[in-house]
Amino acid sequence: MIAAKNLRKDYSGFSLNVDFEIPSGRITGLVGKNGAGKSTTIKLILGLIKPDEGDITVMGIKAGELDAKDKEQMGVALAESGFSPYLTVNAVVSILKKCYHTFDEGKFREACRRMHLPMNKQLKEFSTGMKAKLRVLVALSHDARLLIMDEPTAGLDVEARVEVLDMIRDYMVEDESRTVLITSHISSDLESICDDIYLINNGQVILHEDTDVILGQCGVLKVDAQTYQTLDKNYLVKSVKTPYGYACFTKEKRYYQDNYPGMVIENGSIDELILMLTGGAER
Amino acid sequence: MKIILNNSSMVPIYEQLMDQIKNEIIEGALSAGTALPSVRALSGELKISALTVKKAYDRLEEDGFIVTVHGKGSFVAETDKNLALEACRRAVEEDFGKVILKAQNFGFSKEEILDIVSIILEEN
Repeated sequence: MIAAKNLRKDYSGFSLNVDFEIPSGRITGLVGKNGAGKSTTIKLILGLIKPDEGDITVMGIKAGELDAKDKEQMGVALAESGFSPYLTVNAVVSILKKCYHTFDEGKFREACRRMHLPMNKQLKEFSTGMKAKLRVLVALSHDARLLIMDEPTAGLDVEARVEVLDMIRDYMVEDESRTVLITSHISSDLESICDDIYLINNGQVILHEDTDVILGQCGVLKVDAQTYQTLDKNYLVKSVKTPYGYACFTKEKRYYQDNYPGMVIENGSIDELILMLTGGAER
Repeated sequence: MKIILNNSSMVPIYEQLMDQIKNEIIEGALSAGTALPSVRALSGELKISALTVKKAYDRLEEDGFIVTVHGKGSFVAETDKNLALEACRRAVEEDFGKVILKAQNFGFSKEEILDIVSIILEEN
């Protein structure tokens, strides 16, 4: 559905250089620290900026050559909706009707009602949560084959986050050939919705793994300095010195469970992975 | 289908899912021909990755508990009760195998291992 090959974009002081492939029917997560290159990647996918080198294709078409008709098949939720704050949802409906041939007004109004979005209030009066829900609903309103969601849950409380993620889940259940690319800072959100995860750091993909593998096979060993000396380090990705000894990240926690009975091993998480792999945990 | 997953358990999620579906089939709560939820639907319900559900379904299919018809979905297979029991037996054997290996690594003899087993059996 989306394929990037030797994709390169240079800015002064930062350059993005990535390869990735997102097949259809997949919910893929893009994680990384602030400034890692997530938004640049999304802009390249949308054809909003041109790559300096390499190729990026979306639905088989070069991102820069996507026309209005192709873009109708994409549902995009960025940090800002782009609608004037003086518009009401009713006005947004009129705009969407003109923009998307496949806009489903009945369904959209019903979804707004379910999410308690007032139809006659100006958007500037909306809370952060209401704005975020509207952005996602707009992306879901026109039967798009591909959803691009940049931080759809940022700034939301836990209940609103669950609602937003459930909307995306339901959208995927309706038609399993749809594809979603989602970025988030909230790893637990990604863990509960994504099938696979790309971790980018300093403009590079440093890890691509199925969520299942991250949660099922990765783990953190907590060992004292003495145990660490004799520990088989073949399956450790990274070790970090801690007050009690070492915290070691492994992609083969079963090996350590079987061979070191009694060792403290915690399940891996995306947060742990980011901290361990991007060097944030080194002290 | 009643599935309860423990996210903080050391048992991988796909294995928990697989075991619970398997148990429901063996106990007869899921009868032959029953349609299972689609991979995406179940993943949405349980809030886990679709690939995790797919992995569990694939293993269940390998073990003969379900059949997947392309484009139609997955269904509980006509399982022979003996076959199901055989699978349980294999799983128990596998677990015993691991424990026995552990005991042998600690240097226990056959008699000592059998002793431990009979003590545990009596205690229960």
